[in-house]
Amino acid sequence: MKSSNMERNKSEKIPDMDFCRTEYGMYAPEVTSMAQIKQSDADSLAGVGVHVRGHERSGTMILRNTYTLCAQSESKGLELLPIAAALKKYEWLGDKYYFKAVPAELDEATKRCAGQKEPHGYFIRVQKGARVTLPCQAAFYMASENITQMVHNVVILEDDSELQLITGCVTQHDIKSGLHTAVEEQYIGKNARLTSTMVHGWGSDVVVYPRAGTIVEAGGRYESNYISLRPAGQIISNPQTWLNGKGASAKYLTIILGSPGSTIDIGGDVYLNADGATAELAHRGVCTGGKMHQKGMLIGNASCKAHVDCAGMLLNEGKGGFIESIPGIKAHHPDARLSHEASIGKIAPEQVEYLQSRGMEEREAISMLIRGFLGSDIEGLGTELDARIAEIAELAGHGEG
Amino acid sequence: MKKNTNSLEIRELCVQVDGKEILRNLNLAIPEGEVHALLGLNGSGKTSLMMVIMGFARYKVTSGQIFFEGKDITGLDITERAKLGIGIAEQRPPTIQGVKLKHILYYIVDKKFQQSDEFALMVKAAAMEKFLDRDINEGLSGGEIKRAELLQLLAMQPKFSMMDEPDSGVDLESLKLVGNLINMIFSRDSCRRINKKAGLMITHNGSILNYIQADKAHVMLEGQIGCSGNPHVILDTINKCGYEACARCMRRVAR
Repeated sequence: MKSSNMERNKSEKIPDMDFCRTEYGMYAPEVTSMAQIKQSDADSLAGVGVHVRGHERSGTMILRNTYTLCAQSESKGLELLPIAAALKKYEWLGDKYYFKAVPAELDEATKRCAGQKEPHGYFIRVQKGARVTLPCQAAFYMASENITQMVHNVVILEDDSELQLITGCVTQHDIKSGLHTAVEEQYIGKNARLTSTMVHGWGSDVVVYPRAGTIVEAGGRYESNYISLRPAGQIISNPQTWLNGKGASAKYLTIILGSPGSTIDIGGDVYLNADGATAELAHRGVCTGGKMHQKGMLIGNASCKAHVDCAGMLLNEGKGGFIESIPGIKAHHPDARLSHEASIGKIAPEQVEYLQSRGMEEREAISMLIRGFLGSDIEGLGTELDARIAEIAELAGHGEG
Repeated sequence: MKKNTNSLEIRELCVQVDGKEILRNLNLAIPEGEVHALLGLNGSGKTSLMMVIMGFARYKVTSGQIFFEGKDITGLDITERAKLGIGIAEQRPPTIQGVKLKHILYYIVDKKFQQSDEFALMVKAAAMEKFLDRDINEGLSGGEIKRAELLQLLAMQPKFSMMDEPDSGVDLESLKLVGNLINMIFSRDSCRRINKKAGLMITHNGSILNYIQADKAHVMLEGQIGCSGNPHVILDTINKCGYEACARCMRRVAR
């Protein structure tokens, strides 16, 4: 990795994090195999797109609290291991990839992760030319109150390979607090394609600090869909993407539901370092309360094209909730074509009444409008993603967030 | 013989919009199975009357009552009125980002019907096949908006339908199609009065009346029904003498 390519946008400020509330490793695992997973656990996981049984998947990894229940590939060309095992198996992993896209010294979250005796998380490798047709799924599941999950995931797509990855992060329905930090490093080889869909469904006081870095080589494509279904107490995330090869591309879609008491700060910096690189960043937020920050920064270092778009809908007034949208662009190259837009609005009463005149109840009308707002301009959403959006629209429409 | 009851009846209705009085002591009765035309100058209160019958919040009833099939609906909200069987095709409906015409139609009709030939024919009758996947009213021409609105009414099958200037901004070819849709909505081809739907149609220039037989016409002037009668006789007078003649006539009556 050339160090010049890994430069970070200097204006990034890491917000204060709260590490004092939980202890790591206090709990002995009470569930140690897939067979022991209760139906209620399976239901929670299914809610974020991870299916314990009956669904066709190319591989499954489940971390329950701090215990890895399984990490198994079912598909040729796909390797899925617990990260600790992979580090033992492959020396090159530590030399070339581990803490290379996300520096161990980045901040308190990464330092703590690096300091663990044995890291949790997954290692995924798709071999050169392998096109894994079925999605691979991973779950980070918090089933006890007040635990800490510190995970470290590495995904390597070798040249010309393809993978769809579904990651579900969820707390058991009655769990309120916990701390989840994650280091996510993704390496996308030449002409390789990674589609990552992450669905979060956290308890109301859970604190979540993902630190992600993705490097895309020539002709490679990274697509990220991030959906936060139930707002956590605090989510602070600013994924970094380096488009280092000619024609590399990245597409981010972030859909967030904010509610009273939550602080959500989601950014996304994309460095367009090679000619023909393209990027699209789209943030969609529905706020029924709490603080919501939508950010995004495009840095054009070559002849490239990129667009960032933040759109927010603020549903309730007078509860101290707000949406702040800051899309940013920065060009270092005369042929960088960068653009941004941001808008915040409310639900127009005449639109609600129009739908009511077709027989809808007011709530149904509001849900349909929110769903339209969240899903507009996005072609080809999968049925699962579409179902998640419908769920958010339903929750927000009922003011329950 | 069945008693001829009113589908819609309005008694002494006064309505304000943004604090300004728009309708003044308006009275109107539309019997079951009858379609009435509402004529009048721009700004005379035609659209306001339709919007207040549907129950839009901006149109505030300060006094008077609205009855639908004998039931006082003055205090009901839009949804309740729609569920009772009142429908509207607006002249300038809102554009909604991300909400497609098919989303609304699929809400109105059940899954089985969505897949039926009858549904496909309905969409075809409105020439809206290409618009099902488009955001509602986004970038549509005047005629396309009318057809989208009428298609929704056709799907809803209201007992009482209102249409705001279905003939304005529509070329001659489309007017025939629009006329056909309206006849379908009102079931005008039925021989039995009981099967026919009732409704109110606003028309500024009366051109839609070449396609639909209205039972009666009303002329609105300054927030009141000034004159009612045979649609063709009234339209003839207006075409010859203009609405100014109606105003003069009304002033004479008032004196």
